[in-house]
Amino acid sequence: MFEIGRVCVKLAGRDAGMKCIVIDVVDHSFVVVDGQTRRRKCNIKHLEPLSQVLQISKNAPAAEVVRAMKELGIEMPEKKSKARKESKKERPKSSRTKKAKPVKEAKLAKEKKPKAEKAEETSKANLAGSEK
Amino acid sequence: MVEGKHKSRSLRRLHKKTPGGKTKMYFHARRSAAHKCAVCGEALKGIPRMMRAEAKNAPKSKKKVERPFGGFLCPSCLKAKLKKELRA
Repeated sequence: MFEIGRVCVKLAGRDAGMKCIVIDVVDHSFVVVDGQTRRRKCNIKHLEPLSQVLQISKNAPAAEVVRAMKELGIEMPEKKSKARKESKKERPKSSRTKKAKPVKEAKLAKEKKPKAEKAEETSKANLAGSEK
Repeated sequence: MVEGKHKSRSLRRLHKKTPGGKTKMYFHARRSAAHKCAVCGEALKGIPRMMRAEAKNAPKSKKKVERPFGGFLCPSCLKAKLKKELRA
């Protein structure tokens, strides 16, 4: 009953209620499906077969599946390719080295202000902030 | 005497006997009952038991399961419903 090309509806999982096509048969209890659902191995118990059987090759590429779904009258949006994730991993490690901190030199270069002046400055800044 | 902070009726009161023979009162926060399937009445899984005040600010993912009719129907009732619709 679950041959390649059989149109089914998923009964369980996130994509329950969505139509899919059997692309490959693994054994007596598992098949590989694709369509409105993700391309994945699925238990036969979680599928409800419909009367339609489409002409599709074994392990058909995504484009062929999209064409087959059009026969059923379902327009499928383009699926994102997984190539993006791989490119992120290939980033060179040299960019992650930390830059040397020249903080101490700058601190020494600064003139030490007396505490009274500093207090005045901070209070002025606070007033300006509150006025806004 | 009940302490001021324990007078609130949003706390549940529980009387327990200590090994010494005295009866002591304990105050516990109330917990909601588990959400039930709308068809069969079975307790739904994957949804933490939160009182309304907690649930109001909780994200949607904590109030349902990622499935059609998640948080409303149990998976077996969903299967039965889909099959019925398809075979009709």
